[in-house]
Amino acid sequence: MSGGVDSSVAAGILRDQGHDVVGATLKLWGGASDSGCCSVSDVDDARRVAQVLGIDHHVFNYTDEFDQFVVEPFVADHAAGLTPNPCIECNRHIKFDLLFERAERLGFDAVATGHHAQILEVEGRPFLSRGADPQKDQSYVLGYLTEPILRRLLLPIGHLTKEQVRQEAERLGLRTWNKPDSQDVCFIEASKGREAFLSSRLTLTPATVYDRVSGDVVGHAPAAELVTLGQRRGIAAGIDGERRYVTKVDIGQRRVEVDRLETIYVQSALLDATSLTYSYDPLVDGQQLCVQWSAHGRSLLATLSLKGECRLDFSEEIRPIAPGQSVVFYREDEPSVVLGAAVVTR
Amino acid sequence: MSSLYFDHAASAPRRPEVLEAMLPWTTGVVGNPAGTHSAARRARRAIEDARDEVADFLGVTPTNTLFTAGGTESCHLAIAGTVQRFRRSHANTSVVVSAFEHHAVLTSAELMESLFDDVTTRLMPVGADGCIELDSLTSLVDASTAVVSVMAVNNETGIIQPLEALRARLDDLGTTTLVHTDAIAAAPWMDVALSTASAHLISLCAHKLGGPVNAGALGLRDATIEAVVPGGAQERGLRGGTVDVAAAVGLAMACRLTRHERVANSAHCRELQVRLQKAMTAVEGVSVTGESVERVPGTVHLLISGVSSDEVLFLLDQAGVSASAGAACSSGATSASHVMTAMGVRPELARGSLRLSMGGETTHDDVDALASILTGVIARLRPSA
Repeated sequence: MSGGVDSSVAAGILRDQGHDVVGATLKLWGGASDSGCCSVSDVDDARRVAQVLGIDHHVFNYTDEFDQFVVEPFVADHAAGLTPNPCIECNRHIKFDLLFERAERLGFDAVATGHHAQILEVEGRPFLSRGADPQKDQSYVLGYLTEPILRRLLLPIGHLTKEQVRQEAERLGLRTWNKPDSQDVCFIEASKGREAFLSSRLTLTPATVYDRVSGDVVGHAPAAELVTLGQRRGIAAGIDGERRYVTKVDIGQRRVEVDRLETIYVQSALLDATSLTYSYDPLVDGQQLCVQWSAHGRSLLATLSLKGECRLDFSEEIRPIAPGQSVVFYREDEPSVVLGAAVVTR
Repeated sequence: MSSLYFDHAASAPRRPEVLEAMLPWTTGVVGNPAGTHSAARRARRAIEDARDEVADFLGVTPTNTLFTAGGTESCHLAIAGTVQRFRRSHANTSVVVSAFEHHAVLTSAELMESLFDDVTTRLMPVGADGCIELDSLTSLVDASTAVVSVMAVNNETGIIQPLEALRARLDDLGTTTLVHTDAIAAAPWMDVALSTASAHLISLCAHKLGGPVNAGALGLRDATIEAVVPGGAQERGLRGGTVDVAAAVGLAMACRLTRHERVANSAHCRELQVRLQKAMTAVEGVSVTGESVERVPGTVHLLISGVSSDEVLFLLDQAGVSASAGAACSSGATSASHVMTAMGVRPELARGSLRLSMGGETTHDDVDALASILTGVIARLRPSA
């Protein structure tokens, strides 16, 4: 229970279904955050919701593990010029690994979360599927879950829209009913941003911005680590007055290259083969997939190649996917069902 | 389900006699003790009776006994009140606190340092045996030192600190620094007047003695401080705000009962302590913190290898046992204890910390039941070989 409305209602639904429910809030971040030091106000909300629901509530401290598995890799990835998704790492390493292990040791049959996604059972096997609210679907950040986890996972609000969740929370008298959705990375304060956070953990690299075609210096970036492939924000227009987009970031050379929009499109992405995860059945060479590459972005048909390089060939041109980001695979013929995920290398 | 309360060090069971003493001061007309009419005089009388009792408990004069709203306020008044006064006549001020003080003291010292450029806080190291390292005083204390704060008993481990030796060292060094001691964890078990006789400022609270929360006192011995909350100059101008008659009366009754029962309770709990330690150290990978040094009888602090306190506490709670891992974080999470860190306990071992604390009503059967439940919990949580 994060202290948000979704997990609040998830707990309420399970209680009403007659389950013996215990609420757990994970204390993940010990530093400053937008909900106060140690996220105390979120914990207070979760505790109060549990009290109103009449269920026990415990706070589990995973601050060390969160730093080790989420924050440090987030920093290291940025230092290496990658664009990581810390929510995915938190789900993989903390919620669906350490918490699941703990729940099993403590005698629980299942773990439930308030994610907007669903588990459909087909022929006795659990399939992860998109949430009913297309605006709020979170199946992307759950893309690395595998069958053993899905068998013990409950997603009680996945069939509801956000509006329905809020109505249910209000009906249950939960004080989180109108709490705004969390938007950003939980350990980064919105008022300070990513740059301030990263600069507290590593020395950021100023870089020179070059026009790829002319080779002219067209600007400076205060931190190459924060520049993402395909980025337009903060990049000055070219002398022709047209917008420029980042085509290359080289932290070692302190160099960022930019070019016009039409030049940056690609039609494929290389994947880290070791990161390739499938939910049920192994993915095969030549498999047609529906692919999504950001939390709430669009998805597109692609063909997976596993011989030689691990690669995706998209059915049309796309802006480049930043290295370090994850792609999540959905069934081609039923694009709400998740099949697996992988990390993009190039 | 059984109900086994092993968290006396967090808050002791409230005594019915305390409630009885407080009741007349909790309903109907209770005069403002600063007033002049008969109701005010009655309230004032009750407060001064309470002050005599608490002063006796602390071993200071009634004039030098200030009522506060609890232990945290007492500690803050001792530190901040001393620093504020010292700064007026000194260019630089230092505060020396042991690294495993309660947060009431640590954060107060940190606040002084952050508020005033001329104030620095120096941490006094703690040895692996759980006692302050007296040799460090030579380099920590100098003419700028306004106050040295060392708790009489550590609240997590129950280990008794060498206050007399501390004072002797300070005298040898020829400093004029004041000594503050947080006597809160010591109060249920030790003669506070005797064991803190070498301190200038002594903090006390009621709820570890079976009294109410938000009731405490600060005793002064040859110490001059300034008010932190000046208000209407109550408590000799050192602590503003109307004195809570019920709280003062409750604290006094808790002190009185503690004095009467201390010797018997200590002997009883010493037996329980030995019994519990024997049962738990029979389990592989379980050790008692500070087993070889002097501790109060009510606390058994364990380090349990291969488990995490979060999980132990969860399963103990399910089995009806109330215990704690140490001091709780404001979020309610158990976090790596600064006490264990100060003692140099390895983090992987510190994460299996468990504090079991007892009182006069704890029985041999309670201890046996706890030992059996805890042994089962440890076995369940350890990865099977």
